[in-house]
Amino acid sequence: MLFTIGDYVAGMLIGVATTLAVRGIISPGMDMVIAMLIGMALGTVVHLLVGLVLAPMVGMFETMVPGSLIGMYGGMLFGMRDSMSAGSLTLASALIVGAIFGAIVVGGIKVYNRILQGAVFEASN
Amino acid sequence: MDIETQRKWDAASRTLDFMSFAEDRRIGPHKRRLFSKMRGATLMVAAGTGNDFKFFPPNMNVAAIDISPKMLERAGRKAASYSGTIDLREMDVCNLGFPDASFDTVATAFTFCSVPKPVAGLSELRRVLKPDGQLLMIEHVRSAIGPIGIFMDLMTPLTSRLGPSLNRDTVGNVQKAGFRLRRVENVYLDVVKIIEAVPKGE
Repeated sequence: MLFTIGDYVAGMLIGVATTLAVRGIISPGMDMVIAMLIGMALGTVVHLLVGLVLAPMVGMFETMVPGSLIGMYGGMLFGMRDSMSAGSLTLASALIVGAIFGAIVVGGIKVYNRILQGAVFEASN
Repeated sequence: MDIETQRKWDAASRTLDFMSFAEDRRIGPHKRRLFSKMRGATLMVAAGTGNDFKFFPPNMNVAAIDISPKMLERAGRKAASYSGTIDLREMDVCNLGFPDASFDTVATAFTFCSVPKPVAGLSELRRVLKPDGQLLMIEHVRSAIGPIGIFMDLMTPLTSRLGPSLNRDTVGNVQKAGFRLRRVENVYLDVVKIIEAVPKGE
């Protein structure tokens, strides 16, 4: 149970940290494609840094795998949004969206993990 | 002896217990379930700091090897508190100092992400296993899930400098090294897997 809570908290923290990094660098009016690429790179770096801090407490795989998706895809989406000034105009609302995005990705990974878990091959003899 | 790999894991020995604190608790039950199948003379490859000894069945006689003397120093303390016998030796999995067909069981835990020549290492394991022996592995491998797999490919040049490669096809490598798969199980997504195999008949 504690690990499950930790997974969601880790995902939300990576989402928030990615939001902060992207908002600090991407300015309204920046070319959207460039903003997405920068966002993706920032998200990847942020997830590695935050993930390394959290991994001993939550688990390397359970932090890094969802974190990679949150960082890469979150960074792209947040970069696109911030370059267009489309929604989440205040930092607080952007951070909330980042946290929600992180939690949703962690939830999705948990559902997918349940589907994939178990034997995938067993020899008949 | 692969000196570069030895140095890398000597350095990693300082932080391994700390970094794997949570993983030990989350993956530990799966390791215990896998290692409960150990029987007869057993070889544990890449013993590390001995974190996995607590998941062994009681009263086994195990030879445990690692390429890193610093890892083995730490493993010695944990081996001393095990109910059976654990004989620790510094050895490279690609050049094992055991005769052919020495072991009934060979076990690995997150090892073949870090062996520079995995098929060569697995072939050595096949050599030292008895014909009716078994290979028990819990390993992390490249994910077949598109974005996760691509991310693992991109990160491997970085992670392999400090520790493991993330994009190994260990199930395929086991087969290339002359084993027949007995069972494959997904433990976490398709990234962490239990792989059970036996030597392929001649």
